[in-house]
Amino acid sequence: MKISVKNNKTKRIFGKQIVPWLLICPLIIVLYLAVWRPTVIGAFWSFFKMNAYNPGRFVGLENYKLVISNSQFFLILCNTMMYVFWSLVIGFIPPLAIAIMINEMVHLKSQMRVVMYLPAVIPGIAAMLIWARMYDPSSSGLLNMLLARFGIDAFGWLDNPKFTIIGIVLYMTWSGFAGTMLLYYATVQGISSELYEAALIDGAGPLRRCWHVTLPQMSGILLLNLVRQIIGVFQVMEQPLAMTDGGPNGASASLSYQLYLYGFKSSGQRTGQAMALGVIIFLILLVLTCFYFWLNRKVENNF
Amino acid sequence: MKRFKTKAPGILSSAELKTSYGKFLYWLFFALLLIVCAVSLIPAIWTVVSAFKPTQEIYSSEVTFFPKEMSFEIFKTRLIESWSTLQLQNAVINTLVLSIGELFMTLAFDGLGGYVLSKLKPKGIKFIFALVVWTMMMPSQIRMVPNYISWLHFPFAYDIGGVSIMNTYWPMWISAAANTFNVVLFKNSFDMLSDSYVEAAKLDGCTDIGILLRIMFPLSMPIVIYVSIMTLSGSWSNFFTPMLVLNPEKYTVPVRVLKLKSSTSVQLNTYFMCMVFASVPPFIIFVLFQKYIMGGVNIGGVKG
Repeated sequence: MKISVKNNKTKRIFGKQIVPWLLICPLIIVLYLAVWRPTVIGAFWSFFKMNAYNPGRFVGLENYKLVISNSQFFLILCNTMMYVFWSLVIGFIPPLAIAIMINEMVHLKSQMRVVMYLPAVIPGIAAMLIWARMYDPSSSGLLNMLLARFGIDAFGWLDNPKFTIIGIVLYMTWSGFAGTMLLYYATVQGISSELYEAALIDGAGPLRRCWHVTLPQMSGILLLNLVRQIIGVFQVMEQPLAMTDGGPNGASASLSYQLYLYGFKSSGQRTGQAMALGVIIFLILLVLTCFYFWLNRKVENNF
Repeated sequence: MKRFKTKAPGILSSAELKTSYGKFLYWLFFALLLIVCAVSLIPAIWTVVSAFKPTQEIYSSEVTFFPKEMSFEIFKTRLIESWSTLQLQNAVINTLVLSIGELFMTLAFDGLGGYVLSKLKPKGIKFIFALVVWTMMMPSQIRMVPNYISWLHFPFAYDIGGVSIMNTYWPMWISAAANTFNVVLFKNSFDMLSDSYVEAAKLDGCTDIGILLRIMFPLSMPIVIYVSIMTLSGSWSNFFTPMLVLNPEKYTVPVRVLKLKSSTSVQLNTYFMCMVFASVPPFIIFVLFQKYIMGGVNIGGVKG
């Protein structure tokens, strides 16, 4: 009798504890192989001299010194900040404004949303190359074609070091606004109409209702998206890689793009520096990530 | 204008829409939105139009938006010509293999993970969940080079044996399975389902995998479809890892598109046609599952 009870108990523990761990094991192994271990060895090996893709002797902070003393480093850091700056100036307001406006529509509401989602459907790499052709400095580019119609001379667009980052940010806004817009739209729809009615009775006009009812109701999600956008754009790499190759003269190179050059385009000479740069990016973003989680908890508690 | 009367009060109320100021605001909004729609569409339309133009016309000094000659015959020859120049057949098959593998890995690994995190909750699972959530926000740059090394000496990431999984699809498949965002999506959606489903099924003698496949997935179909679509269309647009690990004969469509940038032999109109071809599969997916995609953005986006 006693034995069978014990057996039952071990069976229960087996079912409740061991089996679940076995079931989640594949996920843990995959995460370990593809995420956790690479992160740790990336940080660890940044203190070693790398011979192509094999760690050599310990060199302390040598890799970090090489990264920071590179004459381009501060230029590239500034570029990355400019990406973030322009993405906030150009890309932050439109999804919000569009979401609020589309919520007021009684005509073509859903058709408009579908049309606006189209840029997000085109595969990223194809869209990047399409935009690179639109910015083509010859008259075959779409934008110069339009300028020619108005009798204005062709402009360099991405070949112009002052415009190249703005050009890439315009593309990023175009391809990404629809997703954010739908997110905001769901929030705008969720605002109770009683709030608007109350404001209406108080005699608030349309714009004041937008300012005093709609925006305060959205402040949580707006803040979260702001931080998320900063974190995301700070890591920009594929766009300069595909659209400009970091050019002209490094004017559109970002930190991540530089890491790609160190890691894969230096014939194995600078892989150690790639890891050091990875740690630097990681540390900068760690601060923002912590802030994001703190904010996320606060926003969730408020609603 | 009947519909104005029943409109719920938002920024514009139905009473205000009768005044000229309200009408002005409404049609101003309408016009702005139409402009946004146009801006969204024009690059795509321009691509399609240019793909069907002869190359000389794209470069000619007297530029026009639409091709000068249009007929069904010309379109047909352009399509056949471009396809035979681009030779995308292999790339399409490769991408299909890659995307189906990624889909399987995502559903199996992440679905199971989400199920354990949400319903079974063995002792100590909180620690794993905290790790998963933190992983979600970690920048991927720090592991870019180490990952590459892992693929070179799988699974040791160090030159003490192991096999190279370069030039296979395993790096992408493993990365797809290691998508913590999907794990959290599955967990959140399974959290909405009552625990009694699991208990009842257990009493009936259903195994955990059976519960996942027969109860959890069917009951959270919108999320399963959303994750599937995002995974499928992801492999039609991700070029970075495939570009690093694959050899030309295994290139997927996005890598072929990227390589087109540096090739000088391809005519400009064929170049545009390649973009059109590359966009067709995601476009079909979008048309078929539009409802789930537009709805899923909200489920997927709120919890970052």
